[in-house]
Amino acid sequence: MRVSRFFLLLILPIPVLLFSLLVGPRGSVPPAAIIAWLKALLTQGISLPDPTLQMVGEVVLNVRLPRIILAFLVGGALTASGASLQALVRNPLVAPDVVGLSAGAAFGAALALTVPWLPLQPCAFVFGLLAAGLTYFLALNRRGVSIVSLILAGVIVSGIFSALLTIVQVLGDPFKLQTIVHWTMGNLHNATWSKVRSAALPIAVGAFVLLAMRWRMNVLALGDEETRAVGLNPEKEKLSVLIPATLAASASVAVAGIIGLVGLAVPHMVRMLVGPDNTRTVPVSLAFGGVFLVLVDDFSRAITSFEIPIGIFTTLIGGPFFIYLLKRTRLGFGE
Amino acid sequence: MAVRVKDLSFSYGTQPVLAHVSLHVPAGKLCMLLGPNGSGKSTLFKVMAGSVRGARGHIELHGRNEALLKGAARARMIGYLPQFHQAVFPFAVEQVVLTGRAAYVNAMPKSSDQKAALKAMQTVGIEHLRTRPYTELSGGERQLVMIARVLAQEPQIILLDEPVSHLDVANQIRLLGLLKMLARSGITVLSVLHDPNIAMLYGDVFFFLKQGSMATPVNEAAPWEGEFLSDVYGARLESIPHRGMALLVPDLSRGNDAHGTR
Repeated sequence: MRVSRFFLLLILPIPVLLFSLLVGPRGSVPPAAIIAWLKALLTQGISLPDPTLQMVGEVVLNVRLPRIILAFLVGGALTASGASLQALVRNPLVAPDVVGLSAGAAFGAALALTVPWLPLQPCAFVFGLLAAGLTYFLALNRRGVSIVSLILAGVIVSGIFSALLTIVQVLGDPFKLQTIVHWTMGNLHNATWSKVRSAALPIAVGAFVLLAMRWRMNVLALGDEETRAVGLNPEKEKLSVLIPATLAASASVAVAGIIGLVGLAVPHMVRMLVGPDNTRTVPVSLAFGGVFLVLVDDFSRAITSFEIPIGIFTTLIGGPFFIYLLKRTRLGFGE
Repeated sequence: MAVRVKDLSFSYGTQPVLAHVSLHVPAGKLCMLLGPNGSGKSTLFKVMAGSVRGARGHIELHGRNEALLKGAARARMIGYLPQFHQAVFPFAVEQVVLTGRAAYVNAMPKSSDQKAALKAMQTVGIEHLRTRPYTELSGGERQLVMIARVLAQEPQIILLDEPVSHLDVANQIRLLGLLKMLARSGITVLSVLHDPNIAMLYGDVFFFLKQGSMATPVNEAAPWEGEFLSDVYGARLESIPHRGMALLVPDLSRGNDAHGTR
């Protein structure tokens, strides 16, 4: 039963991504036009004579497709990163935004947008890792990491990097200010192929390492002492999870800003669907997290003729949903 | 000898916990480590298991230097069951037991690892719990799961830190019977226990720690004789003869009231 659900969830992205090509703002290209374009493409090949069909092709290939792929990559990266961090600190209340990782990566990315010679992705990653590491070490004491100190440290580190981000905005080029402000809110509406290219490699590398570590996460989730007892070094294993998780989350922040609550809430949905075993949770997080963000983006594209930044959307619908879940179930909390 | 500890000293910061501890643990026996709270039992286990570093002295496991054992070789040598364990995620029992194979696994466990985990669950008698969430089990069942996890690791020596402290009498009997059986099958079992009577009833060999040092009874084969245990625990105990040995109960005639005699 669970096995078939597991595989269904892994192939879910295919129909959802195809369906999403048909979705757009009201009054733009209708689904019928896209189907007509597809038919023409299949029967007549790449060079279409009809200018209307050419316009439809342009919308599908250079507006919708990169946006859908970017939403999928970002959603999968944030969810897998959140699920892995939760296993790492043994707490289901942790996510890239909670530990300050997103704020750090956002600062790094904003810095790279303002200072021309700084590379975007490495800069976001370095500051994301710095922020996550800082939070962890602030929260660490001799008896380990307690969730209260971790969340408090995350609040402090997030605050510091948000303040630094504001300084970048104030001191930076006023012509770039609007871009940075829009991007910080968590945005997919100016998705391009170049953004997809920029995020794809770090997300793919991060996802690959997290997949390789997925069983080790089960070991780590039982405790430091328990990990050491079976012959692994918990600190080394944690770093091998923290670095790829940061890489994937920072890359998505660098191209899409802070898209809140995805990394926190979606791993819970995944665990409700396939259980707590990380050998299932991690791959399903990549697929289902991607699907989740693509669907939220479809929704935000379809209901209004103007753009609401998706980060605001995920927080607005994710917040109440998360509170409801917290109240209703125990969400995999022990005891 | 399964374990040779020679002149081991350890301190947390400036606080000395173990001072010049030496002991020899024979192979294939059920050995009990006894002593009052804070006498250094758990620390000694942590040092022996390699989970705490920075001790002075020397530890040999089946003739090999403990400090040099790594990875799978270490896992095959010594397994350690830390004190009371609390899980956050409701993993299935078989998943928890499978994590005992960590030292042998690269990325994902193979079918040989699954088999070892299944065998460990059969040995402990918890196959029927395989798919149950670990977090929903009783304290006794959880302890059995953690023992199966150590067995899945296939070590020659097992250290258990207070394995029965959260269990009722029936579960204590079941667990100690299991430890006895493991020792008979050739595994060296060294366990910290709180209750000296349970320890004497089941154990083959006894070690005593008092304020970070080893204490040795006058008659090593009969540590219940005389004032030795009263002295180790710092409490007045009375021995009552029982099947050629003796059980110990608080001696109420000698001022063992609520204030104790420490």
